[in-house]
Amino acid sequence: MIGKSTSRLFCCILLVFCCSATAQTDEEKVGKAAVAQILGSASLLTANSAQQYVNLMGQALAKSSGANYKWRFGVIQSDSVNAFAMPGGYVLVSTGLLKSLETEDELAFVIAHEVAHVARRHHYQVVQRQRLAEQASKGLQALSQDSDTAKLAQASGQIYARGLDKGAEFEADRLGVEYMTKVGYDPAAALSVLEKLQRMKGNDPRAELLFSTHPSPAERLDMLLMSGVDQLPRPRAVSTSARNSRFQKFLQSF
Amino acid sequence: MAHSFSFERLSVLLTGVFLSSMLSAQSVRDDAVFFDKPDGNPVSVKVKAGTAVKVIKRQGFWVEVEVAGKAGWLKVSQLNFSGVTGGPTAIDTGRLGKGNIVATSAARGLSAKDLLSGQPNFSEVIKLEAQNVTQQAVQAFMVAGGLSQTTEKIQLSIPRSAASTPPVSSGAPSNTGTPSTKKKDDDDW
Repeated sequence: MIGKSTSRLFCCILLVFCCSATAQTDEEKVGKAAVAQILGSASLLTANSAQQYVNLMGQALAKSSGANYKWRFGVIQSDSVNAFAMPGGYVLVSTGLLKSLETEDELAFVIAHEVAHVARRHHYQVVQRQRLAEQASKGLQALSQDSDTAKLAQASGQIYARGLDKGAEFEADRLGVEYMTKVGYDPAAALSVLEKLQRMKGNDPRAELLFSTHPSPAERLDMLLMSGVDQLPRPRAVSTSARNSRFQKFLQSF
Repeated sequence: MAHSFSFERLSVLLTGVFLSSMLSAQSVRDDAVFFDKPDGNPVSVKVKAGTAVKVIKRQGFWVEVEVAGKAGWLKVSQLNFSGVTGGPTAIDTGRLGKGNIVATSAARGLSAKDLLSGQPNFSEVIKLEAQNVTQQAVQAFMVAGGLSQTTEKIQLSIPRSAASTPPVSSGAPSNTGTPSTKKKDDDDW
């Protein structure tokens, strides 16, 4: 009798565990499919020291977000000015974007912005909505989630070609600045990044798609300023020299 | 008739150029007084809300600007960069899926063709997932970079609406004998 009760209790615990694990796994699975799709177009940079550097920065910023994922950060070999956030904790940054930056604090804003997209599940929510729409059109038998990862990867291409609300980009900017400031980076670096993007606007084809798919950098600047970004504490100048010097070394590694 | 038509078209063109230049200019959000340097003292140059300014440089949260040959410093938050005005936006909630649609950030830099026709590369994913750093290494990285978790509360406010900036004007700054003194509830003034 006791054995049966214990067995039932164990089964219940296992079921609850499996259910929660499945929810997490699905988000990771969607993210893995999406990151595979992007890595199909641009490979990871082979310089291991560069990957290590971005991972160390990314982990520090991700911890600041409070979002509990198995975070993975990577650098992809691409001249495009790109950064990518995928569900489940995947973040990619292109060499083209890295080369357009001047300081580690600027890179911190870029990574923290992407971390915020993941933490707020911006893309995963789009996937979930698409699934709901498909269920509505196909009927209840379509309720099961797509188990074909390759198919999911191709579908993610379509999903990413659709839209996020501008509010999601503004929110990622705002939360990104919070995350980087909590770690000790200079929030003014966020303004520097947006100014750089603004200068590229209209005359740098490497960032063409970025501008066609995002709010203008000037508008993002205004939103940050209206959020009170200039009220945030800034680090002492002396503390930035060590990380700026290692950032230059990082840039020279690829 | 032909002259009249051309004149109308020219007027429309010039108006368009004028409006375009206004929209791309940075302008002052509210009435402001120049400072002599970042975190410095106010000087006797006053600019009205909506005045278009030329940004010379930015230093931290301060910008050096020029209006009608007069240069001075303003707080960066005193400027409007996008030149657009608007009502409430989705930024209020950060919610997704309603209005103001732009393509997702995950697609930036890669063409839609790449995303749609590319083949997923799962072996690269395995390499990405193999990247591993310990918490001790992260901590050492932070210390070496002069970074530390702040104990201060860091939270930005959510703007309730886009800037309610008045139309950009080309008004020159006015010299005032009485520089603006400290504004109530604003430590920087």
